[in-house]
Amino acid sequence: MENILRKKAKELLETGAVKVVIGYGWNRSKTRTTPVFITKPEDADRLVFNPLCVNNLSVYLTRKFKDIQALGKPAIIAKGCDIKNIVVLITEAQLQREDVFIIGMVCEGTVYKQELWKGELLPQIMPTKCHNCGVRNPHVADVIIGEKSTFVPPEKPTGMVFDKIKDIDSKDQSARWGFWINEFSRCVKCYACRQVCSLCYCERCIAEKNMPQWIETSAHPRGNLSWNLTRAMHLVGRCTFCGECERACPVNIPLNLINQKMILVVKDAFNFESGYDEKTHPPMIVFSPDDKDNFIK
Amino acid sequence: MNNIYLPQLVTIEDIYDEAPDVKSYRLVFKDKAVREAFDFKAGQFGLYSAFGLGESTFCIASSPTRKGYIQCTFRRTGRVTGGLDELSIGGTMGFRGPYGNWFPLDEWKGKNIVFIAGGIGLPPVRSVIWNCLDRREDFGNITIVYGAKTVADLVYKNELEHWGGRPDVKLIQTVDPGGETPEWKGKTGFVPTVLEEAAPKAENSIAVTCGPPIMIKFVLATLKKLGWNDEQVYTTLENKMKCGVGKCGRCNVGDVYICKEGPVYTAAGVKKMYNDF
Amino acid sequence: MAKTVEKLLKKENLDKLITSVKADGGRWIAPVTDARQVVFKAVTKHEDMASDYILARNSYKEVLFPQTEVIAEYSVSREGSEMHGVELTPAETVVFGARPCEAASLKSLRSVFTWDFIDEFYTKREEKLIIITVACTKADEACFCTTVNISPESTEGSDIYLKETVSGDYLAHGATEKGKAFMAKHGNTFENAPKDAQTKKLVMPEEINGIDLDKISERLKKTGHYEDHVWAELTRKCIGCGACTYVCPTCHCFDITDEGTAIEGERRKNWDSCQFDAFTLHASGHNPRDTQFKRWRNRFMCKMHIYPEKFNSTGCVGCGRCVRVCPVRLDITEVMEALSK
Repeated sequence: MENILRKKAKELLETGAVKVVIGYGWNRSKTRTTPVFITKPEDADRLVFNPLCVNNLSVYLTRKFKDIQALGKPAIIAKGCDIKNIVVLITEAQLQREDVFIIGMVCEGTVYKQELWKGELLPQIMPTKCHNCGVRNPHVADVIIGEKSTFVPPEKPTGMVFDKIKDIDSKDQSARWGFWINEFSRCVKCYACRQVCSLCYCERCIAEKNMPQWIETSAHPRGNLSWNLTRAMHLVGRCTFCGECERACPVNIPLNLINQKMILVVKDAFNFESGYDEKTHPPMIVFSPDDKDNFIK
Repeated sequence: MNNIYLPQLVTIEDIYDEAPDVKSYRLVFKDKAVREAFDFKAGQFGLYSAFGLGESTFCIASSPTRKGYIQCTFRRTGRVTGGLDELSIGGTMGFRGPYGNWFPLDEWKGKNIVFIAGGIGLPPVRSVIWNCLDRREDFGNITIVYGAKTVADLVYKNELEHWGGRPDVKLIQTVDPGGETPEWKGKTGFVPTVLEEAAPKAENSIAVTCGPPIMIKFVLATLKKLGWNDEQVYTTLENKMKCGVGKCGRCNVGDVYICKEGPVYTAAGVKKMYNDF
Repeated sequence: MAKTVEKLLKKENLDKLITSVKADGGRWIAPVTDARQVVFKAVTKHEDMASDYILARNSYKEVLFPQTEVIAEYSVSREGSEMHGVELTPAETVVFGARPCEAASLKSLRSVFTWDFIDEFYTKREEKLIIITVACTKADEACFCTTVNISPESTEGSDIYLKETVSGDYLAHGATEKGKAFMAKHGNTFENAPKDAQTKKLVMPEEINGIDLDKISERLKKTGHYEDHVWAELTRKCIGCGACTYVCPTCHCFDITDEGTAIEGERRKNWDSCQFDAFTLHASGHNPRDTQFKRWRNRFMCKMHIYPEKFNSTGCVGCGRCVRVCPVRLDITEVMEALSK
């Protein structure tokens, strides 16, 4: 798989079809993968692909990364889940389909966090998204690398995130509030959740706007609550549940719970799931006379 | 407890409209002891508070020779300057300072001084101009080259008139091409061009320049062409600041903390810095 | 290390010690497990403390330099506005279970907060701080203290330096006058150490061969390195979050911000990060560090050049927190290695 990947990357760079291949490489001790930007064909052999390739590299396609855009047309190594984000970026006119060469990787799952890797991809170290993955065979790509996956996701989504959502939903309002206030209390306002998210592509985030100051910058309960709620609300109908925000969070706030809950709400209200079709616009930016509107009471 | 972040309260004694969105405030310390003890040198800066909105950094635009008050000039751009702009005479704001280094006027005794400023870059230079004028006998010829985008954008219009009328000051005013009005009697052209025409002599002279980075870049090139060396040319740098006292870590240019070692540098000093502008 | 001041702190006496510190109105901060990670937090009994850990996720710097703190309060009225400073009277704070690397960072923070202007919000807390370090018997691959000339044997910054004994107790060495006084004050919990006390073997992280601190230092001194393409190449993957700076024991950058209504509120000093693009953004729209690699370069300069050259202290203590926490695994040692060439 890696050999085919390297050959393809080399070819793309040699022919000048792309100027940079955004992919994964090893760290010094070959214990962790890290994003790499290959610009010379001879460097294509640095590319790797394995269950440690957790990063959703589509963040590097956004306008936050001007110096990467300056390199020229990119090819991106993307798992099905990463491609969902690229699809949303296309839907939201952040890029055109032809602006990026997608090297789709067939994926049998990744680790939840790289430090969990002990040499074998066991179900218990995989994130919930992998257990329910419908895009192990990339759904939008210019080339697909890897043997076709035969995995069929369970009819009813399963996994820790769904169990936890059910658990929280069963609690009364004050208990739910208490749960989240406690979780958000650890927030340090490092904005790793925002920076790692390819759908948080605003160059001037609302958290940085101060006329007026919408969100208090202090990491106190009020500031943390307003930041975390705003972040979540800005991703309604857009988040693809790639899980990068939760993975990046240095204080282990279970952001996947919020994100998946929103996805369930949007699915229920609009029968929409983001990241599958670049021609369908997300519900929050379109008006339809058929909208249920049942939240208006 | 000595709280280095706590500002002194100042009262706005007078407000002058300088240009669109640009105002000057004349400020007086509320505390009599502070008012009497306060001293600074031309080139130093302060942090000005609008309570509830934060602090903003600008130079002290008045001369240290004028006791009892300080003046600041600012353009309404962001949250803090917007809040300051809405205050009126008698209003209270906060002031911390003076911070940073200053123009070494004592070393300039007997020399000719050329001031070159553009737009909102005049306020820091104004402090030095008045300081020199108040010690007029200490210096040789004094020349002021000042330009702005348009006639309306020229700040300190009354003072420009005063300087222009003084026999001991040579004032050259200019506006960018297209910025002139039918009544405009000054020059039309960019500051570096006008400076080149004026061709101030480098010998026994000091230049003080402040303005937009692009203007400074060409002013330095022009002065070089006119035979000036980098040690003769002074400028004042700005960077975003929060503390003003070397702690908050954001004004550094490479390893130079503008708030502590600056903001006043010679062109030679600037050229020694890391390219972190 | 002078043998004369070594004492034995029995694990069973820890509760007595904690109680005694708390009885004097003090705080006891130690690593605890919270939300699936080990963090420094206030504890009341020793069984709440984590023992099997490499390093707490956060640095204890937040005890000295809180993430957010009120420094003044304002009120605005027709009669005139007021602003009053906040008086700080910190309680004695014991940090137990720090590691030698982070203990060494204390001097660095102090150097910034006390050069010329003295930030008493920092110094008043430091005066009341006792750092009890426990030498490392575990390390992971992110640890690189030995590469930056620190090791589990370093006592700098520790008031009391502990080594775990084979039996699970601690051999205590008073490393500063403050530490010795603390041990004397709590003499009933610091017993005379038996001559035959066996301590656990300390774990020394392997030195990274390719790193030459002198070469890095020489290279950073030349202003021309700012034009070096190595910065963009090595660090363009940085996504610009502040995780590394917030876990770093020597990062000191902060923001000053007002919060409240038009009538009353407070002025706060909040952690800030040089990795945020708005950090250096001018009101004019100009940003001296307009791309991420420039911001990363600044952080590296701060650690490897500004701290040592300007503040005569250590910028990087090799704790490896930034490496562990980085969402894109941007490893500072890999940059150090590249700059050693």
